[in-house]
Amino acid sequence: MINQKGFETSHLIAIRDLEEQDIQRILDYAKLIKQKPSDFSNRLNGKILALAFWEPSTRTQLSFETAMMRLGGSVTGFSSSAGTSLEKGESLSDTITMLANYADGIVIRHPLRGSARLAAEVAHKYGVPVISGGSGSQEHPTQALLDIFTINEFFGQLSGLNIALMGDLRYSRTISSLLFALSKFGKNTINLISHPSLRLQEELRLDLEETNLELIETEDLTEIISEVDVLYVTRLQKERFPDPILYQKVKGSFQLRSSLLKSAKDNSLILHPLPRVDEIPYEIDRFPQAKYFIQAKNGVYVRMAILDLLLGDDSAE
Amino acid sequence: MAKIDNGIVIDHITPPGRAFYALKALEIDENFPHSVFVAINLPSRKFGRKDLLKIRNMKREDLNIEKLSLLISGSNIAYIKDYTIIKKEKIKAPERVSGVIKCPGLNCITSQHEDVEPEFTVLNGQKPISLRCVYCDVIFNVHEHISLML
Repeated sequence: MINQKGFETSHLIAIRDLEEQDIQRILDYAKLIKQKPSDFSNRLNGKILALAFWEPSTRTQLSFETAMMRLGGSVTGFSSSAGTSLEKGESLSDTITMLANYADGIVIRHPLRGSARLAAEVAHKYGVPVISGGSGSQEHPTQALLDIFTINEFFGQLSGLNIALMGDLRYSRTISSLLFALSKFGKNTINLISHPSLRLQEELRLDLEETNLELIETEDLTEIISEVDVLYVTRLQKERFPDPILYQKVKGSFQLRSSLLKSAKDNSLILHPLPRVDEIPYEIDRFPQAKYFIQAKNGVYVRMAILDLLLGDDSAE
Repeated sequence: MAKIDNGIVIDHITPPGRAFYALKALEIDENFPHSVFVAINLPSRKFGRKDLLKIRNMKREDLNIEKLSLLISGSNIAYIKDYTIIKKEKIKAPERVSGVIKCPGLNCITSQHEDVEPEFTVLNGQKPISLRCVYCDVIFNVHEHISLML
């Protein structure tokens, strides 16, 4: 099972803490589910998953709901603080305690770093697993798992790849988790393409120093596009820029153009955690390399695998 | 500096000036009822310069060793009874600390009104000691955040 450091039972709160075999197990199981999802339609009959979303979400929330329903379970929870006790100032600890008494598993999304870890510590007392759906700018582990599931689906491997990450590398929790995930599978070359104010967090860089990832800073995709196997684009968040004029000035530099993709490898992938704004124009969707909607669809299979491994009756094997 | 009859002597406090941090960790202020001798910048053959503290009537159980270990690791404590050293102890850098300092991370869950004790791993035992928050992963230098000591 997934053994998070510091916990006797199972939670999924950070890719950083996972071992390669834990990740591989999730990927293998998701692959099996994707081949015939209907074979798994009764796996979580009678189980209830609580979604505790302090931040808005579309894909993460809906795909967890879909995954739970496809496994035969049902869902409860909230998707914003409006109309709940959260508006009255109820703490995360109290909210999670309550949900741990109602449900068989909890998915949490929260704007603060460390929120998923605290939730896991609280729910652990009740034997209820916690899955992070994103904790501030820290990690988004299930996104990374569906990202590498998609990469593995097309390349059949998760090492020896040339990967370019473009956009907001500093505040993007999907980037942190993806880099941790890739670092578990041997040597990969990672090209980091971002505005200087949006480069990787120092803490993350320090962690990655001990891995096999080869990190290369660059500001221009044009120079490397012909070598790239996976181009992973993230949204530039306007609010992260100190100056809106600066945002307007630099956003074009991190936008994909059709002309640029003519030099891309035929079998390369363009991925994006979504939602996109204008960093990937609609015309890019027609390129065979554009796989972001397949990536999003894979989110359901990967989350089905995680839910079944954590909430299933034989999960303590 | 006068000998003390009972209490503790903390020697080899380096770099010089750290004795002030130790006083804070020991919660010694104007209300402290016993004699305290503070020596700053003493010449030392081994370290060049060092600080030294002598505190009357302070016992092992009065010390917050966890806090001291963050601030003056490498120093030696001698426990004195009737002018005689009855025990010596070297203050070692900890591997993990909890409940002694708040997290400076602006977006850390421990900065909220939650039932959680801030907890950190020590990145290295070198001075100045750096900590990493178990919750938000932020890395910081203890000496730049003394005001966050609990």
